Amino acid sequence: MMERWRSGFSLILLALFVPSLVSAGHSFENTAIVRTVELGGALVHVTTTYAVKALEHSSKYTIALGGLEHEKTSWLEAKIKGRAGVLPLELVGTDPTSGVALYDVDLPETLKVGETAHVVVETTQTHATHPWPEVASQKDGQALKYLTDLLVISPYQTLVQRTKVKSPSPNIFSYTTPEEMSDFTLEDPVTKSGATLTYGPYKNIPPSSTEDFLNEKQKRITIHYAYDWPVLEVTKLKRSAEISHWGANLNIEDNIDLHNAGPALKGHFSRLEHQSQKFFGKPAPHMLPSISLHLPAGIHSVYYYDMIGNVSTSNLRTSPSVPKGSQSNQYSVLELRPRYPIFGGWNYSFTLGWDSPLKDSAGWDKKTGKWIVGVQVMTHVPGAVVNDAEVKIILPEGATDVDFYPPFPAIMNEFSTHITYLDTTGRPAITFHYKDLTHKHVGTIYVSYKVPFSAHLKKPMAVATALMSVFMLAFVWKRVDIRIQKHK
Amino acid sequence: MTTKSAYLLADNVSPATVTNTSSLLRIIALALISGAAIASRLFAVINFESIIHEFDPWFNYRATRVLASQGFYAFWNWFDPTAWYPLGRVVGGTIYPGLMATSGVIYSVLHALNLPVDIRNICVLLAPGFSALTAWSTYMFTKEMKDESAGLLAAAFIGIVPGYISRSVAGSYDNEAIAIFLLMFTFFAWIKALKTGSAFFGTIAALFYFYMVAAWGMLSVFVFTLHKFSPRTLGGYAFITNMIPLHALALILMGRYSSRLYVGYSSWYAVGTLASMQVPFVGFQPVRTSEHMAALGVFGLLQIIAFAELVRSHVSSKQFQTLLFASVIGMGILGTLAIVGLTYKGWIAPWTGRFYSLWDTGYAKKYIPIIASVSEHQPTAWPSFFMDLQFLIFLFPAGVIMCFRQLRDEHVFVIIYAVVASYFAGVMVRLMLTLTPVVCVASAIAFSSLLDTYIDPTEPEIVEDSSTDVDAPQTEGSSNVAAPTPKKAKKAKDAAPLPSGPLSDIVSSVTAGSFKRGERPRGVFGLDTRLAVIVHAVGMLIFFVMHCTWVTANAYSSPSVVLSSQNPDGSQHIIDDFREAYYWLRQNTPEDAVVMSWWDYGYQIAGMADRPTLVDNNTWNNTHIATVGKAMSSSEEVAYPILRKHDVDYVLIIFGGLIGYSGDDINKFLWMVRIAQGVWPDEIQEPNYFTRTGEYRVDDAASATMKNSLMYKMSYYRFAELFGSNQAVDRVRGQQVPKTGPTLDYLDEAFTSENWIVRIYQVKKEDSLGRDLKSANAFAQGKKRKRTKPAPRRRAIQ
Repeated sequence: MMERWRSGFSLILLALFVPSLVSAGHSFENTAIVRTVELGGALVHVTTTYAVKALEHSSKYTIALGGLEHEKTSWLEAKIKGRAGVLPLELVGTDPTSGVALYDVDLPETLKVGETAHVVVETTQTHATHPWPEVASQKDGQALKYLTDLLVISPYQTLVQRTKVKSPSPNIFSYTTPEEMSDFTLEDPVTKSGATLTYGPYKNIPPSSTEDFLNEKQKRITIHYAYDWPVLEVTKLKRSAEISHWGANLNIEDNIDLHNAGPALKGHFSRLEHQSQKFFGKPAPHMLPSISLHLPAGIHSVYYYDMIGNVSTSNLRTSPSVPKGSQSNQYSVLELRPRYPIFGGWNYSFTLGWDSPLKDSAGWDKKTGKWIVGVQVMTHVPGAVVNDAEVKIILPEGATDVDFYPPFPAIMNEFSTHITYLDTTGRPAITFHYKDLTHKHVGTIYVSYKVPFSAHLKKPMAVATALMSVFMLAFVWKRVDIRIQKHK
Repeated sequence: MTTKSAYLLADNVSPATVTNTSSLLRIIALALISGAAIASRLFAVINFESIIHEFDPWFNYRATRVLASQGFYAFWNWFDPTAWYPLGRVVGGTIYPGLMATSGVIYSVLHALNLPVDIRNICVLLAPGFSALTAWSTYMFTKEMKDESAGLLAAAFIGIVPGYISRSVAGSYDNEAIAIFLLMFTFFAWIKALKTGSAFFGTIAALFYFYMVAAWGMLSVFVFTLHKFSPRTLGGYAFITNMIPLHALALILMGRYSSRLYVGYSSWYAVGTLASMQVPFVGFQPVRTSEHMAALGVFGLLQIIAFAELVRSHVSSKQFQTLLFASVIGMGILGTLAIVGLTYKGWIAPWTGRFYSLWDTGYAKKYIPIIASVSEHQPTAWPSFFMDLQFLIFLFPAGVIMCFRQLRDEHVFVIIYAVVASYFAGVMVRLMLTLTPVVCVASAIAFSSLLDTYIDPTEPEIVEDSSTDVDAPQTEGSSNVAAPTPKKAKKAKDAAPLPSGPLSDIVSSVTAGSFKRGERPRGVFGLDTRLAVIVHAVGMLIFFVMHCTWVTANAYSSPSVVLSSQNPDGSQHIIDDFREAYYWLRQNTPEDAVVMSWWDYGYQIAGMADRPTLVDNNTWNNTHIATVGKAMSSSEEVAYPILRKHDVDYVLIIFGGLIGYSGDDINKFLWMVRIAQGVWPDEIQEPNYFTRTGEYRVDDAASATMKNSLMYKMSYYRFAELFGSNQAVDRVRGQQVPKTGPTLDYLDEAFTSENWIVRIYQVKKEDSLGRDLKSANAFAQGKKRKRTKPAPRRRAIQ
């Protein structure tokens, strides 16, 4: 009786903290796991394919991310191999000591016993690499170190797994060779061919998301590789999108604080060196001379300036707006050059903005009588991670019934009132806060709202009233004689 | 009255319609003039961008930002620790806050109306906006001189004349931007007060005078400009302070004392002086310093004369003469005693060097090199009069002589203004600005007289017995004001009775040729003469407009922060090195990093890079500037302790040798040497920087002192390497630079801009092993230490 109660109690406890650690352990078996790590600069792309065999009837498959990985993962998506649909994911819990996070994946259909499925989990990691050596002179190359767990962990038994690490160049300076792997393999634990390192195959791995396994068997591997492009970070992105129905205009303005997270420049910047490298066509790999951004089609009045004025070095190629709903993938290209080449450790902050026709991104829903406007979360700076983002959508004055549908949940949303050109009551604004955005996060926030006709008239009425009162004052002033002494 | 008419005028128009139409036309014309004035100042914004120009405006802009973001009291008490490091600068008490306050008020008003205009745009567009107001106030002023049509011409002239545009293009956010408007409006209010004897207009003049005192710190006219040198100098308001008393004095001496003059002057002086003393930077100067003594003296004189007039109206003339005699002697003695006593006590200081600089405008230049080092303090070259004023400079004397024709009280003012301003404009380039308004006014008077004469359709009558025609002398003659058209009819009563001084008789006989009875009638006959003259006049105007546009577009609209050149395909290429380097400093150095540069760039560094500077364009502390000059002109070993003592982290220099930018530091170098020499004559000597033959060179032949100087080393560090195997050429000096360039031991190159215009060096910290940096550097480069002593010892052992 006592025994039973205790086990029951522990079950409840388990259910509270890591409910699926035990319960999920027997419903599936991983026949094979292949993880592919594509090394990059600020972003590392990891694709893990789980070949799954059901041991029980079940439709919830659980994946586990190690503490290190979970901390760095900013984007996570699960699919069935070969299908387009994204599977719903739910964070079940995080183990407070090991940091292991478990996610439940809802499979599209319940797997019967013995049936198999291929679950593909894609993650994008940010801040996963660091420059090594930490300083580099203008002539030096750039090398990064990437640290990850050796084994893919899973709450289920795994028959075989391997990890492929793809470096952008075959120039891999060093990598960890795991030792004491005799439990899982008898061959070389790691093989290198060209730019690819293969860890594994490792066989017969027990359910590995337990603390014991992690403490005893899990290992860390480090890859030190050459990376010939600058490592970019946007430390802060502030985007504000202002919708104007009067001007039929959507104005978008980005305040971007760019930081080169590559090795800090050793010694000092020599223009001579820089110019000769440019002359010989071998620019320093950690130097960013320019960025080219893809902006939406149909934009106009693009501006690019920083705290001390317009930056005169940029080129813009606009493309005309595409009709809504068409699949055409056109965009405008902005090649912007910072005032100075950005070396490792240097910062550059600037403002970029443009106007676009409102009809390109807004629609009127007849059924509900609401406007729906789509605003992109951010302008993607190629290869960069956005550490902090603040997206503010400013609706027209007098907008009511505001609803919003972000592509992925924000850390925080807040409503505020924004007062700008000749407003009387101010405009409702929604601000979304995000962290660690990558190119995967370039989604669209949809906002729907109603604007009554009277709200449209508010501004002209206010201006007309003000002007009218000025005229009235002038009229009175001209007509009324307030002089004490009358002139002859 | 029916007169013969050269061409037909519609005569069935009612006078009311004519008045209304003409006033509507005037309003439209003024609006168009304002539009033209603003538009012609926008070249800089269109060709470049909305940016603050030059050097001083950057400080004004920075101060305005403080005012706009932190409020007026914070601004008033603003102590800026980043300027004049480590001394700091009490900004609130050492500036004329009128300009910043104006933009601050505009900013607050716009923001209160929910018009979130950026403070930078307000600052950039303030000068064009005020130029429209200047055009209006010039119109009002000239209207008092002649009539509305002359006023419109004057407004059009001042709206586009390059002499004024040069200091008021969009982005040149300096005190002159609003001061010319205030100047003209104060003068207008003064003339109005004088004409009407109205205390109201006297007070208006005083208020605008106060505004001007608060605004115009930059331009001192009577007292030669020491402002670049010391904060305790006078601003341009001294010009008004002295113009108005001078006018009043002239009127008294001409025997034109009147109660109108008394009321106007007294109300202006009393209110204006008290108000101006509220500006902390002015303080008690108006009652203490010699520049203001004229105003005070005239005020006293007016009181005495008023009293004398009062007494005279009460006593007989015999008694009055005795009384006058006694009081003149008494007051002479009393006055002398008072001045001696006050001077002795040190309360007033009339006999300082500044008093002499009043008369000898070269005084300051002769004794203080830093003033001479400013290019706009050089004497004006003749071509620049034409450049800045074009055909107005020829019409100007004519207009002044026109003023003698009537010589009403206000005409005396224009004449005095013309004489004084011409003199000062000849002395110093920047004072062209004060000459410009009076040139526009006088030229407009002349030009509109010409037009009046030739457009006036009245044909001279060929009747011999012109004695019957009373109107003829007034309606005819080459400089007629009142044409008998309905529009002009009311002007006739405006004209005060002509004063008949001997001078005006002479002048009028010279200029106009009085219409003497019995002679052949003079005047304009027929349409052809009229057309010929008018077409030519209009042609002059057209050429004037073209000239103004050209000069404005080509000469006065460059921000100097951004340089422009042309690509081979003709498109504009922007050379943006200054901002590149300043922005690099701002983004990639610690916020408290101290930057040393020559003082020209102090305000720009503070404004754009937001870093503390050692010296800036305020130039109030000559020793500090000389310290920087000394550091730049001495060798590395000598300069290093100076740099370290002043916590200098970065040294910024301007080098134009690569692309041929001639305003660089090597060209300014001799001034640094001279200023340093003024303080340390033993250590820095100018002749050492020349070659034996007395040339200023940077090539192989340069003197050793020159080659070792920090400035030379920083300018040419690694410059020759850029040319590879070719001979390196400095494109500004046109000289070949030595193949092996200078080396630096105590500084490190930190940043060089794209075209090498700005070079920034970091000052190394002391070596951690206690070596001097030179040997530490040699060690790091793997050079063997020069063994001076051990070597012989070894040889001795052998």
